[in-house]
Amino acid sequence: MRREPKATSKSKATVLGSEDSFRMLVEGVTDYAIVMLDPEGHVVSWNPGAERIKGYTRDEIVGKHFSCFYPPEAIKRGVPEKELKAAIKHGRFEDEGWRVRKDGKQFWASVVISALRDKAGKLRGFAKVTRELTERRRNEEQIRILNEQQQTILDASPTMIFYKDRENRFIRVNESFARANGRSKEEMEGKTCWDIYPRETADNYWQDDKEVMSTGQPKLDIVERMETHKGTMYVQSDKIPYRDLEGNVIGVIGFTLDITGRKQAEERIQQQSREIMELSTPVMQVWQGVVVAPLIGSLDSQRTQQFMERLLDRIVETNSPVALVDIMGVPTVDTQTAQHLIETVAAVRLLGAQVVLTGVRPAIAQTLVHLGIDLSGIITRSSLSAGLLVAFEVLNLQVVSKSASR
Amino acid sequence: MNDLQQGEFPIESENDIVSARRLVRNAAVAAGFGLTDVTRIVTAASELTRNIYVHAKSGVMRWRFLKSESKVGLELTFEDSGLGIPNVAKAMEAGYSTGNGLGMGLPGAKRLTDEMTVHSEVGKGTTVVVRKWLTK
Amino acid sequence: MSAESISVIKLRGLLLVTVPADPDDRTVSALQERVLEAMAEHESGGLVLDISTVQTLDSFFARTVVETVQMVSLMGGRTVLAGMRANVAVTVTQLGLSMGNTLTALDVDRAIDMLNAEASKGLRV
Repeated sequence: MRREPKATSKSKATVLGSEDSFRMLVEGVTDYAIVMLDPEGHVVSWNPGAERIKGYTRDEIVGKHFSCFYPPEAIKRGVPEKELKAAIKHGRFEDEGWRVRKDGKQFWASVVISALRDKAGKLRGFAKVTRELTERRRNEEQIRILNEQQQTILDASPTMIFYKDRENRFIRVNESFARANGRSKEEMEGKTCWDIYPRETADNYWQDDKEVMSTGQPKLDIVERMETHKGTMYVQSDKIPYRDLEGNVIGVIGFTLDITGRKQAEERIQQQSREIMELSTPVMQVWQGVVVAPLIGSLDSQRTQQFMERLLDRIVETNSPVALVDIMGVPTVDTQTAQHLIETVAAVRLLGAQVVLTGVRPAIAQTLVHLGIDLSGIITRSSLSAGLLVAFEVLNLQVVSKSASR
Repeated sequence: MNDLQQGEFPIESENDIVSARRLVRNAAVAAGFGLTDVTRIVTAASELTRNIYVHAKSGVMRWRFLKSESKVGLELTFEDSGLGIPNVAKAMEAGYSTGNGLGMGLPGAKRLTDEMTVHSEVGKGTTVVVRKWLTK
Repeated sequence: MSAESISVIKLRGLLLVTVPADPDDRTVSALQERVLEAMAEHESGGLVLDISTVQTLDSFFARTVVETVQMVSLMGGRTVLAGMRANVAVTVTQLGLSMGNTLTALDVDRAIDMLNAEASKGLRV
């Protein structure tokens, strides 16, 4: 190329637009591989960026077919030819894919192939611009893998997990949660609580969410009933604020555990406690008109309450005017226990029956007097058998020995 | 607008006492209370409604189902614009079995229910709120 | 529950009144009047108040019963409260109502026996 030594401004423009300057541009770029191919795909020109990215020097690669940059499987499938054909057809072809360096190492590339035509429209070759994206690709791959791992963990968890946004819409749910609601994950994501649950239930959940989002504090151990298509479940939920990277609250993350089993177990235990309590305070009819209730163990408010109710029911049931309440098995009597007993006696009287308190041990007698508890008005005896005698007296009955009837 | 979950009932005449009892009975039964607890709640309501009628001549009773995590309950509110109670603490002290009737309202109702709050202002009126929880 | 529904039955020299399940205040007051009228008319030795259907026994009812017992006593008779229900007994006790010295019986039968017995064992409340 000949250059004009003295340039006018017009010719300066000509100089800048000349092929030399263009070459300067191409030579100066090292981030991109800018390669020219002939119409058949052989390498015609090579820039420093191409050398850096693909590893070949100019002398090594010029004249070679550009398919050597592709992985063997791609070559087998005829990918390079297809790309050229696409470039011819559409003017350009853009792609991301694996390419091979001189040393055999593969890298992820972003490639644009443009068909170059002269003024007459005849194909003169191709311009191929390649950018290495391995770093980005690696990051994306990592994120994808992490996401998959996270999803696997989420789905494997028996805990029901969900993310909701500020409008009570499910952003993401895990398998357990979706299943509990009888839907697929895809069905639930994007829907609001109101789309899925009855209004009142959805409102309740919403209340908790609003609280969490406005206070920025987690709400833990929320125990509630959850109606599912399989029936009623008892669940325990923890709701925590869902924050973005800046720390703003953008929704709620929920962890819900099915505690139906636990609740059922609790109920069973409660039922058993009640049964034990009933067993330990039986009210037995020992004779027509006489019931006996031996109290064993200490009496707390709840136990006395239940005892009183049961005693009264039995008295009415059996139509018994006398109830022997035996406290031999009660270790200590404090003011409160005594008060409960007095209350029980008063209630029995209202029915039209009366209590005889039996089994009053010396220690109990002492305690009662020392506490200043007035049990006068209640018939008391130290033993159950003595109490039975009182009962017979009240019922106007008499025990007669057979041998005495001579 | 009265459904079974909540409602209100004006107390204006002697007849309203028994009507209030019936309403409360229905509500308590619907809430799932057992017979003895129903009796307790209804009797407490009778006492507190009577208080309104006797001391203030008119007022209102409200009822409301309560839901809290794992238990349900019933809340009754008794409100009047009567003379008010000068010393609530003293009124609550009224002894066990001292009465032959009147004045058993507050302490009695307290014994029959789980929670009770009394707000009263002399010259303005009184509001009594009682709650009973169903344990199970 | 209208006041007219209170009927006082004369039975073996005694008066028997069956109290309805949830009487309003007017009925309770009418009960007292009816009883006293009947006591005057028949000079009965006693009154059996059958409360076996009563579900709510509040302070007004209790007070009226106690008054009635006292009034009947002044007119020469004794009263027995019969058939109080278990749940009512629990509530009355918890409420702290006093039924005075009123006699009580498990049912009407026993109440009648009690009033008719020559040497009554006198179960006093």
